[in-house]
Amino acid sequence: MGFLDALPATIMQWLRSTLNLFLPYWGTEVVVALVKVVLILVLAIMPVIVFTWMERKVLARAQDRFGPNVAGPYGLVVAFADALKILTKEDIIPAAADRPVFRWAPALVIIPTLLVFAVIPVGRGVIGVDLNVGILYVVSVASVNVIAVLAATWSSGNKYSLVAAFRTVAQLVSYEVPMAFAILAVVMAAGSLSTVQIVEAQAVPFAIAMPVAAAIYFVCALAEANRCPFDLLMGESEIVAGFNLEYSGMRFAMFYIAEYAHVFIIGALTTTLFLGGYKGPLLPGWFWFFAKSTAVVFVVLWIRATWPRMRLDQLLDFSWKFLTPLSMANLIAVGVAYKLAADPYLSAAISLVASGALVAVVLALARVAARRSRSRQLRAVVLGEV
Amino acid sequence: MLGRGLLKGLWVTLRHFVASYTKGPRRFPARYTPAGILARSEPDKDGMFTLQYPFEQFEMFPRFRGVLVHLRDPETGQHRCTACLACERACPHGVITIEVEGRGRERRLKSYLYDMGRCIFCRLCVEACRFDAIEMSQFYAFVSTRKDQVLTLEDMLALGDRSGIRHSGEAWS
Repeated sequence: MGFLDALPATIMQWLRSTLNLFLPYWGTEVVVALVKVVLILVLAIMPVIVFTWMERKVLARAQDRFGPNVAGPYGLVVAFADALKILTKEDIIPAAADRPVFRWAPALVIIPTLLVFAVIPVGRGVIGVDLNVGILYVVSVASVNVIAVLAATWSSGNKYSLVAAFRTVAQLVSYEVPMAFAILAVVMAAGSLSTVQIVEAQAVPFAIAMPVAAAIYFVCALAEANRCPFDLLMGESEIVAGFNLEYSGMRFAMFYIAEYAHVFIIGALTTTLFLGGYKGPLLPGWFWFFAKSTAVVFVVLWIRATWPRMRLDQLLDFSWKFLTPLSMANLIAVGVAYKLAADPYLSAAISLVASGALVAVVLALARVAARRSRSRQLRAVVLGEV
Repeated sequence: MLGRGLLKGLWVTLRHFVASYTKGPRRFPARYTPAGILARSEPDKDGMFTLQYPFEQFEMFPRFRGVLVHLRDPETGQHRCTACLACERACPHGVITIEVEGRGRERRLKSYLYDMGRCIFCRLCVEACRFDAIEMSQFYAFVSTRKDQVLTLEDMLALGDRSGIRHSGEAWS
C-alpha cells in the first residue's frame, strides 16, 4: 500500500527527471507548475460532475424517488447532459446591466473557489503548494466571494438580485467571524497555519478532540457556501431566483460550478482541519481524503434534504448571539486544554472534556433563555398584547 | 432539549434514504410490472413508490374514456363500420371525418379519420353508433409533437386489437 500512497509523488518525480533531460531547470519548474495547475483545475471541476449527480440522487432517495436514472447507468452522465443543455442556451445581457462588470462577475465568482484548492493536501505529499500560511490564505481568498457576489448582483440591474446581494453580504460577513475563531482553535492546537502541518498534527482527529469547533466550522462553512439551511440567497419564493437571476447560458454555468466547487471545499476543508485529512489505516492517503470529503458532502446534502431555510434575522442572530460567543469560549477552552498537557492524546482528551463542559453550559443557558422567552410570550398573550 | 426537532428530521430523511435502497420492489423487472406497481401503491409501503411514468403506466379503470378505437368483427376479422355517419354527426367538435364510396347496397367506408388532438373524449360517438363498431379504450399516453395528430382506420383497428375490447359498451352493461 505504500506504493499506492506514494504513487502521485512518484509520477511527479518521474516527470521532473524526464523533463530535466532536455529542459533547463527553470523550464522544468514552469512545466511542472503548469501540470499542477491543470491537475488542481481538474480537482476543482470533477467534483461538480459527481456532486450534481450525487445531490440529485441523495435528495431523490430521501424523498422516496429514483432521481436521475435515464442518462447512462444510474443517471451518471446527467451532468454532461446538463452541460450540453446549458451550452445551447442564449447568452442574455440585460439592457440595464453594467456590461463589463456583468461579464466579468462570473469569473470573479469562480476564481476564488478554484484558488482554495491550491493548498488542500489531497494525499501524502500531494498538494498544489504547501504555503506556511495556508489556512490564512484559504480564509482570505474565500472572502473575495463577497465582492464577487455583490458585483454580479449590482451589475445585473435587477432589484430582486440586489435584495439577494444584501442578504448574502450580511450573511457571509457575519459567518466569517465564528468560522475564523473555529479555525483559530485548530491552528492553535496544531501550532501551524500550514494545511499539511495541521493534518500531521492530528494524532487524534480534531473533530474528536474539539467537537464544538468542528460543529461551528461546519455550520459556518454551510453559510459561507450558501448551502441549505442558509441558502437565503436562492430564495425562489421570495426573490425569484437569487443573485444569479439575470444570468443565462455559460455565465450561469459558472455560478453553478462555483456552487458545487464550494460544496467540495466544505468537504475538503472539514476533512483537512478536523477529520485528519489524508490520514487513515491501510488504504492510500488520497483515497482517505476523497472518502472523508465525500462523507462530509453527503452530510451537506442530507441536511439539504431535511431542514427548511432560515429567516434572515434568525440567521444573523444565530451567528452574532450564539456562534460568535460560543466560538470564543471554545477558543479559550481548547487553548487551555492544549496548554495543560504536551502529549497529543492527553491534551485531546482534556480538550474533549472541556468541549463537553462547554456544551453543557450552553445547553443550560439555552434552556434558561428559552424558558424566559416562553414566559414573556405567555405574559404577552395573557395581557392581550398580541 | 433544544434542537431535538432538527435531529428527528435528519433521522426521518436518513431512514427514507436507506429504505429506498433496501425495501420495496426495486430491481428492474419487478419494478415495471402491474403487480409491482400495485405492491408499491399500498399506503404503508416503505421504499420508493412513485410511478416511473414513461416506463410504466397505471392500468386505467374499464370505464375510462381514452383514445377512440375501432373494433373487429370476430367472424370476418374486419371493421364493423357501415359508414352511416352517426358518429360524425354526434361529434361536438367535428373530430371524425368519414369518406364514403358507392351507393345503396354498395355503400362502403372509404376512410375514417380521427383527429385526436381536438377530441374531448366525451364518448358521444360511441353512444351514437348502432353497429358495435367503435369504443373508447383505456389508452391515455398519446403525447405528440404534432398538433394535427390524426389516426386512420388502420391505426384505430390496431389500437382496438391492443386494447382487448371485444364489444362496445362492455364496461357499461
